[in-house]
Amino acid sequence: MTTRGNRSEGDVVVIGGGVVGGAIALGLARSGARIIILDEGDVAFRASRGNFALVWVQSKGFGMPEYALWSRRSADDWHGLAAILREEGGIDVAHSQPGGFMLCLSEAELDKRVEMMRRLHNSQPLTDFPYEVLDHAETKQRLPAIGKDVVGALYSPLDGHVNSLKLFRALRETCQRRGVDYRPESPVESIVPRDGEFSISGSWGEVRAGKVVLCAGLGNSRLAPMVGLDAPVKPSKGQIIVTEKTEPFLHNPMVTLRQTDEGGVMIGDSHEDRGFDTVVGRPIISTMADRAIRMFPRLAGLNVVRTWSALRVMSPDGFPIYGQSESHPGAFLVTCHSGVTLAASHALTLAPAILAGELPAAVARFTARRFHVPAHA
Amino acid sequence: MTPLTDIGQLAEHYDLVVVGAGPAGLSAAARAAELGLIVLLVDENPTPGGQIYRAITTTPVKDRAVLGEDYWRGSSIVGRFERAKAAYAPGCTVWSLGPDEGEPGTFEIGLSLGGKARMIAASQAILTTGAQERPFPIPGWTLPGVMTAGAAQIALKGAGIVPVGRTVIAGCGPLLYLLASQLAAAGAEIVAVLDTTPKRNWTKALAAFPDFLRSPYLAKGLQLMAQTRRRLHFVSNVTGLAAAGEGRLASVTVERKGAAETIVCDTLLLHQGVIPGVNLTNAAGCEHFFDNEQHCWVPKLDRWFASSVPGIAIAGDGAGIGGAESAALRGEIAAFDAARRLGRLTKPERDRKAAPVRAELERRLRGRRFLDLLYKPAPQFLAPKDETIVCRCEEVTAGQIRDAARRLGVTGPNQMKAFLRCGMGPCQGRLCGPTVVELIAEVRGRTPAEIGYYRLRPPVKPVTLAELAALPQTEASVEAVVR
Repeated sequence: MTTRGNRSEGDVVVIGGGVVGGAIALGLARSGARIIILDEGDVAFRASRGNFALVWVQSKGFGMPEYALWSRRSADDWHGLAAILREEGGIDVAHSQPGGFMLCLSEAELDKRVEMMRRLHNSQPLTDFPYEVLDHAETKQRLPAIGKDVVGALYSPLDGHVNSLKLFRALRETCQRRGVDYRPESPVESIVPRDGEFSISGSWGEVRAGKVVLCAGLGNSRLAPMVGLDAPVKPSKGQIIVTEKTEPFLHNPMVTLRQTDEGGVMIGDSHEDRGFDTVVGRPIISTMADRAIRMFPRLAGLNVVRTWSALRVMSPDGFPIYGQSESHPGAFLVTCHSGVTLAASHALTLAPAILAGELPAAVARFTARRFHVPAHA
Repeated sequence: MTPLTDIGQLAEHYDLVVVGAGPAGLSAAARAAELGLIVLLVDENPTPGGQIYRAITTTPVKDRAVLGEDYWRGSSIVGRFERAKAAYAPGCTVWSLGPDEGEPGTFEIGLSLGGKARMIAASQAILTTGAQERPFPIPGWTLPGVMTAGAAQIALKGAGIVPVGRTVIAGCGPLLYLLASQLAAAGAEIVAVLDTTPKRNWTKALAAFPDFLRSPYLAKGLQLMAQTRRRLHFVSNVTGLAAAGEGRLASVTVERKGAAETIVCDTLLLHQGVIPGVNLTNAAGCEHFFDNEQHCWVPKLDRWFASSVPGIAIAGDGAGIGGAESAALRGEIAAFDAARRLGRLTKPERDRKAAPVRAELERRLRGRRFLDLLYKPAPQFLAPKDETIVCRCEEVTAGQIRDAARRLGVTGPNQMKAFLRCGMGPCQGRLCGPTVVELIAEVRGRTPAEIGYYRLRPPVKPVTLAELAALPQTEASVEAVVR
């Protein structure tokens, strides 16, 4: 399995086998490259197993309009990605874009949200992002199951969702059928640029390739400096509740609540800075459950099947970091906390650009250089 | 003993919370109360006894010969607990157990009773949640009419009912004979007992036989075995089983010595031994290891049954299968140590008091190894053929699991769960976990110990969203959720 010497086994080594690594690998393989994915094993910090599965555009990009455009582009391209996964991988990932709601349980919440959206979409280039502000009655008309505590909602037709575990498997399946060499239990200890190549090694051995893409989530902060990149990402803990399966009653995703294609109801999403702690915190679960029932009273009697917490991969400003190393061209960094939303952009736009050797203008603002702006007096 | 019927009657804090009212839990709670600890015993069943002494205070089966003297021995254990000064919450489930964030060194325990949830605190916890039957996946095991032998025993003890019609019992393990004889005595029409004990296990077990000769179970076991073989149609060396029928069980096909035979039946009771129920102990963060002789996951424990999580002890069959009598003794030993941890006993006091109990436990466990080696299930019943459903909740087959392990590079049960949903249903992996691990191990040429097990999460027992929503929130929890 291990190759030493000058011969490369693959054109590109992707480090990380989650949804981000899988989407990049799929895009690269579809462009004709030979790909090796190096992944960890069964127990690892895997946001891909713990995420909320939204393909979400609404309210994203405050402070960086490029992020709104990039998310929207991915949401548009998601229909194509779903078709690829269905046709090439044989898996329907239950993607739909029925429009999403942000339900508010007080006037203060609603006012804050409305004000944020107004500021976000007041300026170019985000003026044509459709959204609506709905009062209780208008919301009830579209979502008859809401409770009396819902004072109103924001709605955007751009939002959608997917079955993210099916996505995770479909990416693996499609990559496998495309001949991608997936190597689990191969955590990377070092990356050494050598003779225009990268030597990537761990206790499992070594591989070499002309290009390497870091898609290792939180692991990127350790790996990036090895190739002259910077990935100042930190964990942000999020908790999720899932109920037993129930009859379909909710077609649209809410930002904190959605019914999956399988029938269970997922309730999210908390944000905490707690390092690498993934213990499920009970008070937060209660707050989430309480709000969920106020949004949809019919959920009250459902049994909770599982709760879990997972770690988002958070950059200092919350936006993705994409970049190619200046000191070691051929080394790329792809990291974000919205691997599901951005899967289409990663597979269909970013991956071909990585293979071509130059990142697209659309992501030029996402380099880590934005964190190193010298402070002005 | 003070029974509590409303969750509001529970105290905010106990020195010790014991989970499960089988022999281990009853003995632990009684002993701890006798030592002056403030104790709560929580049990999901309406009456004490656990599985082995289930419904001992209420069973309609009054003929003592049906359930046997070993069953009725539970009366004295229950009696001792009833005389002890401990709180007892029957019909109450424990759905979570974790560190109390506000109070370091104590546990926060999530309970549900009468449709209401509540969090209480405990300084120490002894988990005596017992064993479960080892999953026995064969083709057709999901058909109505097929159930576990243990389930039939629950119906017998709890309600005095036996299966109607032609009944077949299949599998292996010391309990198989007991179940067969109890059901036969209660009037079930047992048309066959199919023994799947692999022939070659005898060779392996023989080395442990001298020790078994000193086992207190020996005479009893041999008598039971001889009785079963004499009175019932006993078929040994069974190498394959498949249940069949349209919409419900109609027959079972038995493979033996290369030939197949079909037995028409109305009920098929499956049993291939018991394994520790690890859901609560795993979710509480206790470390486990794979015991090769008992062929199952067992919590890592010290001599006092203390787990890797300080303050949590695990006694009874949940600490590794040892049987009812050793369960009660283990409970006692764990209680002595809980008292020591709480400062009620010094170490020498604890050691002195526990010494005779420990000696008796040693005697009771004699010969266990022989049984473990003899009744280790055959590989084809641990990792079944491709078409067999392994995860009943999500209807995932052995073939799908093998395919994902082989072709998609899935190396463990947690990734498998994400890919195929096995273990995500209402049973929370209890019925598929061991088999999923076995299948991955088989495909990847590794041992179950190397593959690992599910990382389980609360709630480990059903609790409704409304129950969770009614529990106290904090400023921090609201801040983390409301934006």
